[in-house]
Amino acid sequence: MIAFWILAVLMVASAVFTVSAKKPVYSVIGLLANFVCLAGMYLELQAEFLAVIQIVVYSGAILILFVFVIALLSSGVRPFDVGPDRAPRIMIPATILAGLTLIAITVTALRTPSAVVHTPVGVTGDANAFGSVGDFGVALFTANLLPFEVTAFILMVAVIGVVLIAGDDDAVTGSRRKPRRPGKRESIVKDTVAR
Amino acid sequence: MSIGPEYYVVLSAVLFSIGVVGVIARRNPLIMLMSIELLFNAANLALVTYARVWANDAGHVFAFLVITVAAAEAAIGLAIVAVTFRRTPFVDVDEVSALKG
Amino acid sequence: MLLYFLWLLPLFGGVLLWAFGPQLKSWAGPIGAALIGVGFVATIVLWNDATAPGGLHVGLVTWLPGWSFGLQLDRLSLIWSLIITGVGFLIHVYSIGYMDGDRAFARFFAYMNFFVFAMMTLVLSDNVIGLLVGWGLVGLASYFLIGFWFEKPSAVAAARKAFVMNVVGDVGIMFAVFIIVQRIGSIGYADIFAHFGTAFGPQALFLVCLGLFIGCAAKSAQIPLHTWLPDAMEGPTPVSALIHAATMVTAGVYLIARFSPLWSASADARELVGAIGGLTAIAGAILGCAQWDIKRILAYSTMSQIGYMIMGVGIGAYDAGVFHFFTHAFFKAQLFLGAGIIIHALANEQDVRRMGGLRKQMPFAFVAMLVGVLAISGVPGLSGFFSKDAVIYGALESGHPWLYAVGVVTAGITAYYMFRLLFVTFFGAYRGNVDPSDLGIRHPELAGTASSSGHHPEEEEPHRHAPAWLMSVPVGILIVPTIAIGWLDAAWVGAPWKQFFAGFFPRVNEAATAAPFSELVSTGLVLLVVALGFAIAYARYGAPAVQRDAVARLRTETVRMPAVLVNAYYFDAAYDALLVRPARALGGWFDRFVDPHVIDAGVREVAISAQWLGHLFRSFQTGLVRAYALSIAFGVLCVVAYYAYAFAFTGGGR
Repeated sequence: MIAFWILAVLMVASAVFTVSAKKPVYSVIGLLANFVCLAGMYLELQAEFLAVIQIVVYSGAILILFVFVIALLSSGVRPFDVGPDRAPRIMIPATILAGLTLIAITVTALRTPSAVVHTPVGVTGDANAFGSVGDFGVALFTANLLPFEVTAFILMVAVIGVVLIAGDDDAVTGSRRKPRRPGKRESIVKDTVAR
Repeated sequence: MSIGPEYYVVLSAVLFSIGVVGVIARRNPLIMLMSIELLFNAANLALVTYARVWANDAGHVFAFLVITVAAAEAAIGLAIVAVTFRRTPFVDVDEVSALKG
Repeated sequence: MLLYFLWLLPLFGGVLLWAFGPQLKSWAGPIGAALIGVGFVATIVLWNDATAPGGLHVGLVTWLPGWSFGLQLDRLSLIWSLIITGVGFLIHVYSIGYMDGDRAFARFFAYMNFFVFAMMTLVLSDNVIGLLVGWGLVGLASYFLIGFWFEKPSAVAAARKAFVMNVVGDVGIMFAVFIIVQRIGSIGYADIFAHFGTAFGPQALFLVCLGLFIGCAAKSAQIPLHTWLPDAMEGPTPVSALIHAATMVTAGVYLIARFSPLWSASADARELVGAIGGLTAIAGAILGCAQWDIKRILAYSTMSQIGYMIMGVGIGAYDAGVFHFFTHAFFKAQLFLGAGIIIHALANEQDVRRMGGLRKQMPFAFVAMLVGVLAISGVPGLSGFFSKDAVIYGALESGHPWLYAVGVVTAGITAYYMFRLLFVTFFGAYRGNVDPSDLGIRHPELAGTASSSGHHPEEEEPHRHAPAWLMSVPVGILIVPTIAIGWLDAAWVGAPWKQFFAGFFPRVNEAATAAPFSELVSTGLVLLVVALGFAIAYARYGAPAVQRDAVARLRTETVRMPAVLVNAYYFDAAYDALLVRPARALGGWFDRFVDPHVIDAGVREVAISAQWLGHLFRSFQTGLVRAYALSIAFGVLCVVAYYAYAFAFTGGGR
């Protein structure tokens, strides 16, 4: 119980920090904290496998990816400058919407009764206990085999997509592509300051 | 579970709302993407909660798939961001307004 | 089978000549004439079948129960068919000569053949819908042919006027047909005549007859729908001969004769028809005295003679009226074709004031016209004498003394203006080279208001002129029946005409009052009046002393002509003021106000609202990613709210 409350407070704080940090690197750190706390939550909920996956994939891979891109984009003279704010008062409708969503979900959650089913779980750490690797593996590879395969396919598509989008080398496409300099119509970002 | 699932769900909702605000109100595309990751995780939390409530592994599997898809999406999103803002001075999504009009 | 050919051959000819006119060039004329000639032969061949008791009947198609279309050739349609194809053939041959060199030579014959087809449809139908179809088609053919020289605005206007007036008549006849079909449930004549007694009360019968008669009045140029006929002279002379003398304008007479059972049963309708017929006869004759254009004189005489026919069939003397149609077709065609010879020879001069003395220069035309004039005046021995007397005496026999008087007087007036025509045209000195204003002509190019029509020199292609016999032979052929055909009704030869139609028409069921005097006395009376007319005409125009002074006298007469006659009793002016001007004003109002402010505005508003809608949607396209994210978030909220409502508030559905 205490674990829950500590973790919950930490999660919310880190989420707020992530969303409102000035620099992206700070946001990454906040997000990292959030993910770690979330992994703790999973452990609370007896989803050990998922907790580890959360750390490994999310914190370990995706956040590193973010860091790389930040590094890539920081190579400019004035990294992360922002132009004029074109929607200055967008916070108002945003908060309203978010608040309404929160209320809706909360209301739903509080009004739908859900008793905890007494789980015939084994001791945490047992090989085939609920939420363990074995249990999860069985579920993944028997009942949900098709989604698993599809997900693999999605990952492949994602890899190909990334290479196509961001790769300007001819190693993949086999054709020489000159490094693209944004011409008059080449960039979709408005060039308001002469380079 | 020591406390009822409502607490977890409310926490998930709070995280979701924070993520929504973050997506809409920030102009840096990287932070927007991170807010989106927040949204994913909020949903995952709810999924795992109810997996525990119903003692059903499907929730775990679904959460796993969500993580996977989120990874793919993050990858592609970051690739787009990288390409789009490669040589521009402002890393600001407001500048990406070629669809205007 | 032959009946099909008789009916369809002219249609085939019309389409063929219309489609291949440019290729056929001058072969169009002989082809067109030949097809009609074949029709005439077919009619003769079918004579025996047609005169059999039931007539010749061929079914075409049954469309609905009670709606079966077919052709029938009985005695009545046989007579009309003979005239249409016989006189039509002669006129076609004549036209080969008359229209020679015209640019639209083939089109003329296409239209003429089409007209013959339409008229055959009218007379050969065994049902009232076929009659209606033919009725409309002859109106259309008339429109085509009156406006044949369509570069002339007056011709186009005349064609339009004729068509519009015919349409007015069509409305009347259509109402009658509607009532008939609705009450009787069938369109065939046989069914109609069998059941009309039970289906119609007296008022309904009168209304039906009235509707039919409105159609007749328009088609046959009876008062008050007669004003189109004089203007229809804008068409080429063969057209005037065929359509506006011999056949189309007699369609009204055919209608009444065909529907004789209905007419015989309604005394009121008969009174109306007789009165209008008599009125038209005398009014037309009076107007004929005031015309200076050859064709207009003949047009008014046609109107007057058809008045006789209508009067005849109106009072119940069906065979007399039809007989007058029969003789009139010959001598009126004769007169028109003769006039055409004169017009053609004088290079489209139609004003008789500028003619004169043509007796010596064109003896053949003189003889032809003389025979025609004698016939129409009712000189004993010629055809018109017999038929006119039959009609006039019929009026007395059926107890209509006023109509009798009208008939007699009109005969005298007819003699007067026809001989006036003859004297002014053919006697005295030639006045063609007299200055028109000396003759009182104010607008030489509009001499007599039917403008000197005819071919324009620029319309003629260089060609070898067609042989003159093409025009004179048909006229010559026509002389024979003009003289002789009247004997068909003569009592001495056993009155074969009456025998022909014996028992065909239902007898009028009213007490036939004994005529105050016998037919012989009546004939004498008519002859007296005719002689009087001739004498007055001679005194004014024919006497040699008068002819020396011709120019001055003509000018005086022109100047002193009463305005009411010159303006044709102001019918045209009245129609113009009552109908044409308001219609034009209404159209102008629509053009000025409704069109730009209502219709255009409506269309414009639709376009503007589409634009406005586009603008509205355009305002959504800010290009701002965050705004789009906001709208997605809103969508998410909606979905969540829906599920919240479903699960939390209504007990949750799965």
